[in-house]
Amino acid sequence: MFKKFSSEEVSAQNQVKASVQRKIRQSIAEEYPGLEPVLDDILPKKSPLIVAKCQNHLNLVLVNNVPLFFSIRDGPYMPTLRLLHQYPNIMKKLQVDRGAIKFVLAGANIMCPGLTSPGGALDEEVEAETPVAIMAEGKQHALAIGFTKMSAKDIKAINKGIGVDNLHYLNDGLWKMERLD
Amino acid sequence: MAEKPQPVRVLYCGTCSLPPEYCEFGPDFEKCKPWLIQNVPDLYPDLVKEANEKEAGKAANQLKNTSISSGSDDGAASSAPKQEAVKRLPGGKVKKKEKQEVVIEKVIRNKRKCITTVKGLELFGVKLSDASKKLGKKFATGASVVKGPTEKEQIDVQGDISYDIVEFITETWPDVPETSIFFIEDGRKVPAA
Repeated sequence: MFKKFSSEEVSAQNQVKASVQRKIRQSIAEEYPGLEPVLDDILPKKSPLIVAKCQNHLNLVLVNNVPLFFSIRDGPYMPTLRLLHQYPNIMKKLQVDRGAIKFVLAGANIMCPGLTSPGGALDEEVEAETPVAIMAEGKQHALAIGFTKMSAKDIKAINKGIGVDNLHYLNDGLWKMERLD
Repeated sequence: MAEKPQPVRVLYCGTCSLPPEYCEFGPDFEKCKPWLIQNVPDLYPDLVKEANEKEAGKAANQLKNTSISSGSDDGAASSAPKQEAVKRLPGGKVKKKEKQEVVIEKVIRNKRKCITTVKGLELFGVKLSDASKKLGKKFATGASVVKGPTEKEQIDVQGDISYDIVEFITETWPDVPETSIFFIEDGRKVPAA
C-alpha cells in the first residue's frame, strides 16, 4: 500500500492533543509490550507528537518529523521498518523462504506456501488480523510488515493463497520517506 | 524493569538505503557492489572474490602493457562504473524510449455518435491546448484535452473526423510526418499514409 507514497499524499498533519497523544501511547504499549521500556525514548513525553493524515484512511505518527508508526482505519498501530530494525523483537515474526524475497520487495502479499516451505518459519501463536514482521530466510532484518489474513494454524492447514497482507516493505514509498517536513 | 533493550544500530547501504543483506534484491545491485565491498565485505564473500580476481587481472594487464609508471592511476579510473544513460524502472526493467507517433482512434459513443481521440501529439512538441483549440475550430466541434489512461494527455474531439484529420495535422504541424500517424482499427494499428 505504500508502493507509491510521497509527501503529496499527506493531506493534513497536526500536533495532537495531549489526550489523544496519551491514547496513542497506550494503544502502542498494549500492542507491543516489548516496546514499553523504551517507549519514552521513542515517543518522548515532552516533544510534540504529530499525526499526519494521508489518503486511504492512513495515519502516520511522527516525532521530530520522523515517521514512526502508521495505522489504517483506526486499526492497530504498526511500526515503520526503520523503527522495527532498531527494536526487532517487538513484533511476532513470520519468515518467508528465499524465493519469496524478490516478490515481497516488489510489494506482493505473502502467500502461504512461502511461509510453510522449508525456508519459511511460522510463529504458531499468530492469530488472524494481527500485525507481524516478515523476516526472510538467511537474513537478519525484517523486510516487510504485514497484517495476517489468517492465523498461523490456518496458514499451515490451508497452505494456499494470501496469508499475510503486505503493508510496508523495504524500499517502498514510506521507507524512502525518512523525514516528513 | 531495570534493563532497557538498546536500539539495534542497523547499517544501511549507502547506495540504495536498504540493509546491505537485501542489496541483492534491491533496485540496482550492480551499483551497490562497490559500497558493499568496502563496507560489509563479509556479507557477500563471492563479491569480494570476484573483485579481487578482477583486480588481479587488471594488474596483470598493466604489467603487460605499461612501461610508464602512471599505470595504477588509470586502472582506478577505468574501474569506476560507467554512468548509465537509461533510466531504470523499479524492478530493474529498462524504460523504453517513447516512440514518436500520433495515434488516432475513433470511439463509438451512443451507437451513432463518436469521439476521435488523438494521442501522442505532445511528442512532437505540439502544445495540446493550442492543438485542441485548432481542431475544434477547424471541425466546428468540441475538442478538449483530457487525461487519458496512465497519466497521458490526449485530445478528444467530438464527432468522426478521422477522414481528414491526417491532412490537417500534417498541414498545421509540419514537424509531424505522415508516416508516423497511425489509426487504430479493430484494435490494430494501421498506418495512415
